[in-house]
Amino acid sequence: MMSLLIVLFGVTAAYAVYIAALCSRRRQAPVFEAEGLPAWTFIFGSAGLVLAGLGLDAHLALAARYGLQASHLAVGLVLVALAGVLVVKRVVLAARLTGIASPGALLGGYYGSVTLRIAVMVLAALYALPFSAAALAGIGDLVSAATAGALPRAGVIAVVAVFLFLPSVLGGWRAIVYVAAGQSLIVLVLLAFLAVAVSSDQGVPLFGAAVPTVDGILADRIPGVFQPSAGIGKATAIGGLWTTTGILSAAIALAGIVLSPAYLLLAIGTRARTAVAFSQTWVTGGIAAGLLVVATPILAAALATADGAGPAAAMAGLADRLAAYEPLLGVGLILLVVGVVQIGIALFAGAAARIFAHEAVALYVLPRLSPDGERLATRIALAAIFALLAAMAVFAPLPSAILASLALPLSIQLLPALLGLCFLPWLSRSAVLAGLVVGCLMVFFTEPPGLILFDGLFVELPWGRWPLTIHSAAWGLAFNLAATLLAAIFTRGGAEQDHRDRLHDAFRAAYPADLGSGAARSAKWSLVLLWAFLALGPGAILGNTFFSEPIFAGGPAQVGLPSLWVWQVLFWFVGVFLIWWLAYHGRMAVIEPGPARRVSYEAGPPSAFQRRAPLWIERTLARVARR
Amino acid sequence: MSARPEDDPLDRHALVVAVWLAGGFVAATLLSIGLEHGSFTVTLSAFGAALAAFIGHVIVNEVFRTGFTPRELGLGLVGAVVGLVAIGLGGLVSPEFRATGFLPASLGLIGLAAAVVVYMLIRHGVRGAFDAFDVIRDFRR
Repeated sequence: MMSLLIVLFGVTAAYAVYIAALCSRRRQAPVFEAEGLPAWTFIFGSAGLVLAGLGLDAHLALAARYGLQASHLAVGLVLVALAGVLVVKRVVLAARLTGIASPGALLGGYYGSVTLRIAVMVLAALYALPFSAAALAGIGDLVSAATAGALPRAGVIAVVAVFLFLPSVLGGWRAIVYVAAGQSLIVLVLLAFLAVAVSSDQGVPLFGAAVPTVDGILADRIPGVFQPSAGIGKATAIGGLWTTTGILSAAIALAGIVLSPAYLLLAIGTRARTAVAFSQTWVTGGIAAGLLVVATPILAAALATADGAGPAAAMAGLADRLAAYEPLLGVGLILLVVGVVQIGIALFAGAAARIFAHEAVALYVLPRLSPDGERLATRIALAAIFALLAAMAVFAPLPSAILASLALPLSIQLLPALLGLCFLPWLSRSAVLAGLVVGCLMVFFTEPPGLILFDGLFVELPWGRWPLTIHSAAWGLAFNLAATLLAAIFTRGGAEQDHRDRLHDAFRAAYPADLGSGAARSAKWSLVLLWAFLALGPGAILGNTFFSEPIFAGGPAQVGLPSLWVWQVLFWFVGVFLIWWLAYHGRMAVIEPGPARRVSYEAGPPSAFQRRAPLWIERTLARVARR
Repeated sequence: MSARPEDDPLDRHALVVAVWLAGGFVAATLLSIGLEHGSFTVTLSAFGAALAAFIGHVIVNEVFRTGFTPRELGLGLVGAVVGLVAIGLGGLVSPEFRATGFLPASLGLIGLAAAVVVYMLIRHGVRGAFDAFDVIRDFRR
């Protein structure tokens, strides 16, 4: 299997370098441009990025341990697509109206906040370094285990990093996006094919496979709406970790990938008008979510019975078993997992390098930098990022994994800021920043970095990771929204709002939103909430027995499939219809052609509201000073 | 299609290569399984995967409002000839292949050829499709 694995890895690497070489031959094109990309790159690339954010290998390992309760998260991809429908169109239009093609600069310019710009940069670094390093370390472990140590872990990590770096530096952002989107298409095809092949070869049913879990874990049921557990590391949740609030909050965390700098940069660079609607409806919410709903139980059931201690060894064991039947199947499974990770690393590293060179170097460090100089800065940043992430993957996989846990939940904390940019001009800079700080603190103290730091330096906290089986992203977002709304009450109006209103006036003039009459508008929001309640939230508990023990039947029904799996398929299907209705019928993700560069925002804080002390401090100081 | 028209061939090429990589891997795996285990259905499915990749290629062509490039036509013809020779040689040399693999492989190749003919008829019409192969008329000019 090893030689075949090397050959096929070589083919995918050759594809990446070949496309990058073609990109580098384009005449007079800025190598690191992020605009004018074809629709298909966003359609497939965004779905691949969502799978990378989910972490396919981690998702399968969790499903192999917890069964259908963990694989229920696949329905969460519909929520991710709904988040995309909500914000991506308006972000793209804002970028078009302001002429700002970078998410950090866009938020910074709109709110007049350097802090938000830095927050986006930190987020980009978090995805590019610890998140990517943890994923790369996983690849090293998997390939090393699959080849019984013949390919050493460090060597695999170095080779993968080099072959991701080469196309990035040769062809720039365009090549990164082409290759990532192409790989996403390959990954989706492989996922479908391997699900059928594993089902046929390993004797696992194609629909609603039962995952053999250890005693004490409910394999085909959700263990409650929530559990009064102190959190992972402090207490064990009875029946499993994935309660309905756990699933809903994990899906909210997963939606953070839509607000990540790489995703937004990818969206801003796409030129076709229906790419966003198509990608969210049919590819992310449709194909990717549907494939995961069907394929996860199959692969997890086979993985649960594979030999090997630890997720990487179990995956390698399954690949070995498949290779015994047909070597290409075993290699295909490894290529699937590696491919998903490569998509994430390439896009996260490329976006971070571009954002760092454009927003930090070209704006603050060397303000008179020429386009060639910015290109060189981006290449240097790429080299530094890939060297660092490879070093972290080899030498510090555990710290990388600990820090990586922050990326998705911190991403979703940008939601109020983006809602302000897209729809709510009354959300002020102070409100958004107050919410962001509170939300980030909540995330930090409900994830390993904060818990380890606080326990080590001060006293042991009474809660662990995800207390009450609620993901840190939801804890953070709840406090974030509360703080934002509270602060927004006291900071409405003034020069700042006039500054923000310019963009919303331009939205109304050039791209008027037509959400329908009052009833239609209410239906849109209420149906989304109803779907979320039943598909992922507390209502999903009904799925445990809804089809196997129908309340009106007076006894058990012979469905032949786990009731929860049927519930997942049903609400995936309803979810796709909901996305279609909002994206196409509600025009929430169809980008109309229209004018560009109508609003001008400064790179730094606008002069209209330069930093000043709060009024009450000024007055107090004035009284004291006069005396 | 593109903001820079010179980018259109690159946009299309990157997608076409990805489509064939995905379809090619599935087809190769199915062909290997089918021939190894002597399964008629799986061997035929390998050609089904190749046909799906071909249909994907045609869809890409329609989206980009273009046809097959001369290089793609050349590569396709070479592939077809190699496939034909491989099936012929396999039938002559290997009794095992003759017994289990020859029929599905031949049917698969005929199916692919039929798909190409149908594509040409739909895209160019009967006269246009025939003109593409009318070499004698080219000599008369």
